[in-house]
Amino acid sequence: MSVQLKFDPVGLPAEAEVLRADVRDFLAREWPSDYWPNSDFNEGHSPEFSRKLGARGWIGMTWPKRYGGGERSFFERYVVTEELLAAGAPVSAHWIADRQSGPLLLRFGTEHQRRRYLPGIAAGESYFSIGMSEPDSGSDLASVRTRAEKVAGGWVVNGAKIWTTDAHRNHHIIALVRTAPVSENRHAGLSQIVIDLHADGVTVRPIRNIAGGEDFNEVVFEDCFVPDDGLIGTPGNGWTQVTSELGYERSGPERFLSAFRVLVEFVRYVGSNPDRDAAALIGRLASHLMTLRKMSISVAGMLHNGASPAVESALVKSLGNDFEKQLPELVRLQTGHLPGDHPLQRSMEQTLLHSPSFTIRGGTREILRGVIARGLGLR
Amino acid sequence: MDRLIEDTAERIFSDHVDKTLLDRAEASAGAAFPQALWDTVTATGLHLVGRPDSGTTMDDLFGLLKVAGRHAVPLPLAEVLLANAVMADYPESAGFTTIAVDGVAPWARAAERVVDPGGDLYLEFTVEPGENIAGEPRDRVVSERTSRVPLPDDLYELLALSRTALMAGALDRILAMAIAYATERQQFGRPISKFQAVQHSLAVLAGEVAAAGRACDGAIESLGATGFVNQVAAAKARVGEAAGVVAEIAHQVHGAFGFTYEHSLHHFTRRLWAWRDEYGRESEWHERLGRCVANGGADNVWDFITRGH
Repeated sequence: MSVQLKFDPVGLPAEAEVLRADVRDFLAREWPSDYWPNSDFNEGHSPEFSRKLGARGWIGMTWPKRYGGGERSFFERYVVTEELLAAGAPVSAHWIADRQSGPLLLRFGTEHQRRRYLPGIAAGESYFSIGMSEPDSGSDLASVRTRAEKVAGGWVVNGAKIWTTDAHRNHHIIALVRTAPVSENRHAGLSQIVIDLHADGVTVRPIRNIAGGEDFNEVVFEDCFVPDDGLIGTPGNGWTQVTSELGYERSGPERFLSAFRVLVEFVRYVGSNPDRDAAALIGRLASHLMTLRKMSISVAGMLHNGASPAVESALVKSLGNDFEKQLPELVRLQTGHLPGDHPLQRSMEQTLLHSPSFTIRGGTREILRGVIARGLGLR
Repeated sequence: MDRLIEDTAERIFSDHVDKTLLDRAEASAGAAFPQALWDTVTATGLHLVGRPDSGTTMDDLFGLLKVAGRHAVPLPLAEVLLANAVMADYPESAGFTTIAVDGVAPWARAAERVVDPGGDLYLEFTVEPGENIAGEPRDRVVSERTSRVPLPDDLYELLALSRTALMAGALDRILAMAIAYATERQQFGRPISKFQAVQHSLAVLAGEVAAAGRACDGAIESLGATGFVNQVAAAKARVGEAAGVVAEIAHQVHGAFGFTYEHSLHHFTRRLWAWRDEYGRESEWHERLGRCVANGGADNVWDFITRGH
């Protein structure tokens, strides 16, 4: 049999499980008053809460201590992140910096960059945006046109990024830019550069989404000067770097837990002795969650062992996103009419309004299926 | 699972199980019992895998069933293995014992003994032949002389896990068949695997197969642990759900050829349709699992997901 998608039978080690009680205890004590739980990693921006997590050592957990990290395992980080998401805690401020900007800087950045940026991220004080998509470059990421031209002592950046979450309140953006003209190899000539979002020549314009929120933006660069040490890794290596970043981005618990609070409120709504259909729905959703979680932990195990399970990550995200989209759809069919301020109604509406983004952000369903098809040897 | 057992099983099933054997073993063709295969299985001791006195574990037993599922082995291996394993202390158990649930037992027509989860061992019994949607013998049995044997409380859950493992194996095989077919079959001057619509269907199929495999392994890993029943519930339901999706897509990819009796795809897809119903279809396990979750209350849903009980 030629096809082998690998999901090793990995369980969480005991030292990771020990942390679980600590996180739950922390959440019980430090829950921001009046904060409405939401399991979408993109909702809930609280610098105060992020700083508290940083103080506990729960950001940058796997990084070396000399950069403010905790030198803990991927599994321990997994437990902390899944507990925060399941509880619906406000984690969006530091999420991207912790999940991918930090690891990217750690892997490809200079010593100076690591020392400059990582401690602030780990403290829950420094927040990053992803600078990948552009108005004319969505799924076709290699077609980005934002360019950085070499000048004395640095680079001059011109162009625009879009769908940039929290650019209006984050500190930095890591932008994928063209540093050499387009050649036959369209993946060549791309580089990653870290830009201060408050620098001269950077304009951030909010974009309103269908839920009424304004957390994503267009970021325009006009002759924005970036010093030499803003370039991450080697010039021209941007494509390799950006694709390695996606491995971290795609397989985590945030890819199947976005709608979790709807399930919690549904269980509260039907009570401890539900009718047959409601019980069956809860069981069905639980069977999916238990399975997705095992798959996601398998990928964490592969990352822990230094592997880059790109296809498996795409699979977890693809299955997980479909699940989190279906969850409110299935729950509403088992729910009678509720007033708008009922916790279940409120959860369902919030989740539904954000659900179109689940299968778009971090790689669309169509792109992921392409990645999987390539992994199956079909292209 | 023990590598030697897996390799031995893979070799024996590859040697013996082909389209002809599968066709002849079907009830509609007279349910010819594959005696040569059975003789090889017993000669190598594969039918004793899972018995403490054989130096193997229950983990090996379910691993062996995954291999059997990959080959659609036309023997009641799940029942034989489980009966032999749970009756290890019973002196004469190490032969061909099948298991009757609600009066129906796979291949009772060929069995020496039948046992039911209540602990009745049928030494003499009458058989009324029956079959499932895959043409596998599922015979109604009535006991005429019984003795009592002590059995574990979770025999039904072990049976459900046996179908989960068989399905996981069959799903692996169907993924390989669908990819092979799509890569070979040419239309519009190129393999149909080059069409994006087909690629996306196969990507969905692969996702379901991967989820099913992980769900099944998760339940096997929880053998003997607290919450085993819940892991089986989640796995049987999730794999059963995958079975429906995968059979649908696999047939669509195979086109009209896959709808013919002559093609071997149906030996796997019809088994999926049969096995997802045997020992509790998805709705039964969904409800059981859902009641446990609801019983713990809304604020413990997550704790249940992480601990499985």
